[in-house]
Amino acid sequence: MTAIDKKERRRLLSGKQYVGAAIAALAAVLLVAAIVGYAIRETGTVSGSLKNMRSDAVVHIASEGIVDKIARDAKAARLKELRANGYNGRKFREIGLSEVEALTGEAEAQARAEAEALYSSPVVSDPAALERAVAALEERLAAYGQLRASERQAFSGLYVSLVDGTASWTDLTDAAGEDDEALFKALCAVEPRLAQESNAHLKPAFIKLARDMAETERARRARELETQLIQQVTGGVSDWAELASLKDNELWDALCREVPALQDNPTAKDAVMAQAKANIQTAQAGGEVTVQDSAATEGNTPVSETQANYKYFAPSEQLARLESDKDEAHTALWEQLTGIIPSLSGIQSKDKSGILENVDQLLWPGELSFSSRFQSYSGQVGAKDAGFATRLAGNAENLLLLGIALALLAVILIWWETLTRRFGVPRVIILLFFLYLILAAQYYNISIPLMMGNVLERMVMYGILALAMMPGIQCGIGLNMGMTIGCIAGLMGVVLSLQFDMTGPAGLTFACISGAMIALPLGWAYSILLNRMKGNEMTISTYVGFSFVSLMCIAWMMLPFTNPKIIWLLSGQGLRVTHSLLGSYGHLLDKFLSFEVGGMTIPTGGLLFLGLCCLMMWLFSRTKVGIAMTAAGSNPRFAEASGINVNRMRSLGTILSTVFAAIGIVIYSQSFGYAQLYTAPRQLGFIAASAILIGGASVRKARVAHVLLGVFLFEGVLVFGQQIANSAVAGGGLSEVMRIMISNGIILYALTQTGGGRRE
Amino acid sequence: MNDLNSKNFTSHLKNYAVTYMFIALSVFFIAVSGLDINYVASQLLLRLNRNAFIVMALIIPIIAGMGINFSITIGAMAAQIGLLLTISWGVTGVPGILLAAGITLPLGLIFGYLIGSLLNRMKGQETIGSLILGYFANGAYQLLFLFIFGGIIPLSDKVTIVGATGVQNTLNLTGSVGLSTAIDSILRVPFLQTVYVLAAVVLAGSVVLWARKKITKTRFLALSIGAVIVAGIFLLPPVANVFNGSHGREIRIPVVTWLIIGALCLFNATIMRTRLGQKFRAVGQSQVVANASGINVNRTRITAIMISTVLAGWGQIIFMQSEGIGTFQTYAAHEQVGLYAGAAILVGGASIDRATNMQALIGAFLFHSLFITAQSASSNLFGNAVVGEYFRAFLSYGVIALALILYAARSARQRKTNLMAMAAQNGAAKE
Repeated sequence: MTAIDKKERRRLLSGKQYVGAAIAALAAVLLVAAIVGYAIRETGTVSGSLKNMRSDAVVHIASEGIVDKIARDAKAARLKELRANGYNGRKFREIGLSEVEALTGEAEAQARAEAEALYSSPVVSDPAALERAVAALEERLAAYGQLRASERQAFSGLYVSLVDGTASWTDLTDAAGEDDEALFKALCAVEPRLAQESNAHLKPAFIKLARDMAETERARRARELETQLIQQVTGGVSDWAELASLKDNELWDALCREVPALQDNPTAKDAVMAQAKANIQTAQAGGEVTVQDSAATEGNTPVSETQANYKYFAPSEQLARLESDKDEAHTALWEQLTGIIPSLSGIQSKDKSGILENVDQLLWPGELSFSSRFQSYSGQVGAKDAGFATRLAGNAENLLLLGIALALLAVILIWWETLTRRFGVPRVIILLFFLYLILAAQYYNISIPLMMGNVLERMVMYGILALAMMPGIQCGIGLNMGMTIGCIAGLMGVVLSLQFDMTGPAGLTFACISGAMIALPLGWAYSILLNRMKGNEMTISTYVGFSFVSLMCIAWMMLPFTNPKIIWLLSGQGLRVTHSLLGSYGHLLDKFLSFEVGGMTIPTGGLLFLGLCCLMMWLFSRTKVGIAMTAAGSNPRFAEASGINVNRMRSLGTILSTVFAAIGIVIYSQSFGYAQLYTAPRQLGFIAASAILIGGASVRKARVAHVLLGVFLFEGVLVFGQQIANSAVAGGGLSEVMRIMISNGIILYALTQTGGGRRE
Repeated sequence: MNDLNSKNFTSHLKNYAVTYMFIALSVFFIAVSGLDINYVASQLLLRLNRNAFIVMALIIPIIAGMGINFSITIGAMAAQIGLLLTISWGVTGVPGILLAAGITLPLGLIFGYLIGSLLNRMKGQETIGSLILGYFANGAYQLLFLFIFGGIIPLSDKVTIVGATGVQNTLNLTGSVGLSTAIDSILRVPFLQTVYVLAAVVLAGSVVLWARKKITKTRFLALSIGAVIVAGIFLLPPVANVFNGSHGREIRIPVVTWLIIGALCLFNATIMRTRLGQKFRAVGQSQVVANASGINVNRTRITAIMISTVLAGWGQIIFMQSEGIGTFQTYAAHEQVGLYAGAAILVGGASIDRATNMQALIGAFLFHSLFITAQSASSNLFGNAVVGEYFRAFLSYGVIALALILYAARSARQRKTNLMAMAAQNGAAKE
């Protein structure tokens, strides 16, 4: 094909592009309609019509309430009649539930039809008065609702910072004893805002919280002890089948001989005995009795973000006042409604409060946008009478979303070839998926700024780990799956800082620096290995990383750490799996200079640190050494010929990668609030690799922009995806499935881009 | 002559360094663990019959030059789909196992084709590619079991979670489900008798073959004396007492399962003598040469993976029905299949580019002997049983890492000698 042909072809539109253009036109129409819809919302006709809909909807709820009540009464009466005719409980059970339904259903349906004929279109004699009552109620509901929401938010802030800031509840309560005042003072020391006058009403609630938390903590420790004892017992007995003939107390004695610590902890007897019996059964059936490793059994450790428990929420005086205002408005509205439907005055208070609750839900579901009002009102009375203009205004949001979605589709269709050539199919798909998720979040009324804040937080968490991939790719070892070695060095730094009880910025700095120091020699040794294995680095580094993680599992068990906060209580040996950093430097960097913009929390400190690391990496790749390293990676023979020591450059890149991984895991842990040892770091290499690949890197080439873009996209898809999966589909497994498939899919794609006959 | 022998011996030591290390470790662990030898022997035989089939499923891809095929996990997933449907339809016993195997066959072939096609696009990176493909497929598997089975594809209440979508976490294979030990329990024979009978058969066979001049005298002597010695060892009271139930339980072996494993050995051996086997070997040795001699390299590689995937699936069925398993962990049963099988075959002395039936069997034997004893050994050595659990994981990953490193070092050396030879040739040509 000649060059002219190519040009010609480019000028002509393909079939796909024609479809794209048509969709673009449709999208434009929808967008214009949406803008018109937004614009006419404030006009008198439209807002008046919406108010009418509101009044109608309120009346409709009331009439529906009374119809329901009449139908229920009829059913109850019929049931009573049946009972009088010899249908007792046994008879009902005999004939079954569906038969009973059939017997009573007819009477219910008939009564309902009659009542609907009577009440379905009540005459409103004074629409203006009704409208006033409804408006007044809505106003008070809004005032109450807003204050309640803000008080709950303040409560949640206090709760989270209190829980995150407290290392041990038992210590706190034990120090205070029964004295509530002393306990509250201790709480105020953790969270000074608690002492403010405006939070006085929360005092009893938080004291109760502290006592409850201490209780939970004690229970958790007891369980932990139990788990440990069970582990020791299970592993200590070599042949369980032998013990089968023993009686209960003989068995217990035998177990105590095996594990003397059992005698000191009689509380764990039931659990240990139950496990022992289960083990004997397994052994008799020919099965294998195995010790669950600690990572699997320590399921009760909190590893998710702290969330406020509103059980402890208490309203302020002002809120209580607003609540009584609200009740007044309820009474006024009820008067209006009984004027319209006289039979309402006859109903029981239970039914009355049911109807009013429905009205509340309609008028103040938690927010008040034009379209949400329109939707809920038309859910009651339909939108037929509302008029075209109102309907257009009410659906403006949906039109906008649809318009944007179609416009995106059109862009993709028209420029598909260019986009996929430039970014590769998987990246275009992930980008599209991300945009789709944002639209879907809007559709499900999920707060996008809040989610974006979460994405930023996760960027801080994973950013430096992904950055650690970059020097590895640049120096020619490809995706450094063995960065877990660096991660373990970093975790060692964290554990050391905990061992010496270091907190605050000093602790974090110490963890970073000591982690990096440990990572240096490890990275150097690892780089020597990789230099001998040119061409197979990725496979080998994956398995070297895996082996190192398993080896360190043993080391975590055996290393002589002594601080009781970080080792297993019972055996006095071996580090725990999960270490809370909340009492020391958890979230320290994230909270530094952190502020809120439009509902989006910006973790300033973390972002600054990530930016600093990225800047350093960028500057480094501009230096003479950096350029030499990239050259050694991209074309080793040429680099060798021009006098660059390729092996030394590869070592440099590997060491850099390892050190960044060490710092990365420290930042990850402080962001997460917990440091996890043992098998937890095993898959981190894969996560970091998929992030940088999504950003556009390949196994040969990477830039800082790839890191930032990749982490943003990857975490964005995960954060939004999880939230949407939770609100759209039941069951949480979907987001995990998505993570597995995206993360491994992008690595597979990157591998297909490099393979193809490299071996021969 | 002597010089050649010593050279052979050193190269043998080099190739089997990992194996000898594991033999030493096994002996040490068995001694330290303090476990009853009867228990160890029965567990070992049980585990060998449970795992040998899957381990041998790795052989053909290795010969075809595709490294350790960690995507056999996908074959295991195919088998688990088959088992799930079998349980859901309520088919029990041997027919149930046959049905599951029948479902596994087409699924395994399709999956194998897809895996092979993808691996053809990442030549030289098959080991890592198949590992990550296994992870990826795990996502798809969860999607299938969590959201599609019981939702879009209706299944019986026996396997789904009532009131929600998805398949239950654990499915029982015993009792009325009737799949556990369906093959194992067809015929069980005491282990000692089997050994005697086998020794007698070998002895008789070698006599007949020698009489008909089918084998040389040395080979006849080796076979017959070997058979007599083995039978003699197992007749000795201290050895026989381990197996005959005078200490602990009498050890019996499931004959039909062993026959199936034997059939696979035979299959692996015969396929190498066919045209297809020649192709596997040719492609494994050099794709360029194979291509030049008219072999469709990509198709041969896909065939190798397809066979391996189906075999792995059947191996997983044998594993699941085996004694002592009893339950089907719906979401986790396949996860470690690739790791353990890969580690086992490497322990047996296979490498990234060569493997035999014998290596697979020896490997499975040694690997699992460590597996059985690690916990008790670590409990006795360190006073902590969990260490043993971690040590097992370390062994699995470590032996794979070591094998990969040794292979990479060897091929780097080979490249260097090739280059030097080429340079020498060039030099000679110039002169």
